[in-house]
Amino acid sequence: MKTIEDSPATGRKTEDYPVRITGFWSGRSELIVPALVFTLAGFLSYGTATMEVMGTSVPGPQFFPTIVCVLLFLMAAIHTIQILRTRRFPHADSEGHNPDFSSDMLGDLGDTEGKSIYRPTAPPSATGKRKAYSDWKTLGTVIGGVAAFIVALPVLGWILSAAGLFWVVCRALGSKRPLFDISISILFSAVIQLAFNAGLGLNLPSGFLEGLI
Amino acid sequence: MESITMLMEGFASALTPMNLLWVLIGAVLGTAVGVLPGLGSAMAVALLLPITFSLDPTAAFIMFAGVYYGGLFGDSTSGILLNTPGNSSAIASTFEGHRMALDGRAAKALATAAMGAFIGGLIATTVVVFFAPVLVKMATAFGPAEYFALAVFAFLAISSVVSDSVVKGLLSLGLGLVLALVGVDGPSGTARFTLGLPQLFDGMSIVVITVGLLALGEVLHIASRIHRDDAATRVESKGKPRLDLRDIRRALPAWLRGTAFGVPFGVIPAGGSEVPTFLAYGTEKKLAARNGDTDFGTSGSIRGVAAPEAAANATAGTAMGALLALGLPTSATAAIMLAAFQQYGMQPGPLLFERSGPMVWTLLASLFIGLVILLILNMQFAVLWAKLLLIPRHYLYAGITVLSVLGVYAISSSIVDLWILLAIGLLGFLMRRYKFPLAPVLIAVILGPLAETELRRALTVSEGDLSILVGSPVTLVLYGLLVIALLITGIQHLRHSKAARSQAPKFDSDRIGV
Repeated sequence: MKTIEDSPATGRKTEDYPVRITGFWSGRSELIVPALVFTLAGFLSYGTATMEVMGTSVPGPQFFPTIVCVLLFLMAAIHTIQILRTRRFPHADSEGHNPDFSSDMLGDLGDTEGKSIYRPTAPPSATGKRKAYSDWKTLGTVIGGVAAFIVALPVLGWILSAAGLFWVVCRALGSKRPLFDISISILFSAVIQLAFNAGLGLNLPSGFLEGLI
Repeated sequence: MESITMLMEGFASALTPMNLLWVLIGAVLGTAVGVLPGLGSAMAVALLLPITFSLDPTAAFIMFAGVYYGGLFGDSTSGILLNTPGNSSAIASTFEGHRMALDGRAAKALATAAMGAFIGGLIATTVVVFFAPVLVKMATAFGPAEYFALAVFAFLAISSVVSDSVVKGLLSLGLGLVLALVGVDGPSGTARFTLGLPQLFDGMSIVVITVGLLALGEVLHIASRIHRDDAATRVESKGKPRLDLRDIRRALPAWLRGTAFGVPFGVIPAGGSEVPTFLAYGTEKKLAARNGDTDFGTSGSIRGVAAPEAAANATAGTAMGALLALGLPTSATAAIMLAAFQQYGMQPGPLLFERSGPMVWTLLASLFIGLVILLILNMQFAVLWAKLLLIPRHYLYAGITVLSVLGVYAISSSIVDLWILLAIGLLGFLMRRYKFPLAPVLIAVILGPLAETELRRALTVSEGDLSILVGSPVTLVLYGLLVIALLITGIQHLRHSKAARSQAPKFDSDRIGV
């Protein structure tokens, strides 16, 4: 059955936007979270069972991990059921929504009369139906930038690799002035290197530039 | 009046030029991160931790104190001018504050907010000075069972009672506990979940976890949204933020009522100032309706800004007291402060007052000094702070990315830590993407080891008899309160999901299948 539930958190109706349900995964991508938690809990159970216990204290080092394992398995199972029962689409989310707090509770306390506490997300534009979904290209560029930085740091040294990271993140997040950014990046990383070496006495790797500067 | 003499000594050591400079730096940084939406004092302290490692602890904590309060001063600025609260603690004051700004009274709203934050913080810090020694005396009688009960209370209150979804809250809590489990188990010396990597024997560094979750996670989240969401429009603030006598007379009762809500909430692990700010806002709204106040909800009421702002800082003030005296973090930001203490080899709690007394009192004195500095910074330069919002977001987040990797690398020059940082940053992104609360992870990472140690200690003493956990009045009261809170939340969640379901028949499968 193709039904979508309202998002009670925002009071905004999902039906305000057309939603395309193409298959099992539509609105259920969140299943990746319980999948990860099950994997983690499995690893944890294995680790707890095969732990080389030292000492003879009772309760021992396996006691607490067992409790955590049970908690994780139980909650991941309930969460899976919740996701399977209700598809969720990004449109239903609202901007700045902080899941640390129940918006229903805050609404009751503040007597907001069911008005949305948070600003709703920008509606998907008429042309781009997928506007509300995560932007994997930008995200991937930033993740790749950080990974490249970690690989490059021992080889290229702090100034070059940190400048590269700064530049890549700027570019990914929409900077329109790549050449100007190069100077900002190098200035930023060089100032940090100087402040660290001179001010705090900590050494950042200088890589192959060692000896030159 | 032992407290007063101690405090005076604290003032004497806080009022040196060097320490004043640290308060000022902290206050400026704190206000800045507060003003910028998405950044908060928790992230700022996490990023500063490794960098301040070579400072002397007193200087570092004085600076953190400035950041801690500063975040709460700055967050209402962007709320009032942009309708985008800098932090969720400013949502409640944004409702009326932005209305005032649209009505051309932005400067007045900013001044009311700053003054409210000052009054709330001032009263709460004074309360702490007099009650912290009492709390310390009480806490010295605590045994393992009481500490475990306190930890369980904090875990469940933050993950289940206040969070949006109980299941997600408990999953976050579980993830945090797992992160805290990695490493060599103290009491027995058993290596747990280290994958055989010697770098993990000491456990995962709290700095790596907090920077990953709060800083890198936020950057990744922004990366996934920045080309999607529209930018907010800004209301220009005209005139100097000044309050005349009439405004003060109108706002004063609201400031005091807000403070009254905030002070008790600082000691309860309810995740910070969101709950009291909304309580304060709701109260002002009801009072306005009763008094026939037409400003409220239309042109913006000064009281609707004053009360939540005072409540927020009052909560932060007493939260600092609970942290110092009991070692109990009541919010994510307080949890990071606790982590900061642990980085310096200090454990907040009754022993801290004994062992590092002078430092604690200097810290308390610098909280007062910080409040005065923050009031001046925010009253005189509120409009200038709003200019921070003009910094292109790509430079801001690129800077945060570089500072994250810098901070993590600086703690132990380890490449493995950087990979862990990236992994935790991805976890932080996933959690934001699917609306998982972050505060339970931080509380679990920081209180998890304590909960485990105290639980095992209690059970070792009782030889496995579980009744020791509820064997004293303190534990009974704590568990009793917890059960009541959980019941109320349960009813609340049920009521709202029923309300949501009763609207459900509107579904139209033809439209949905477009």
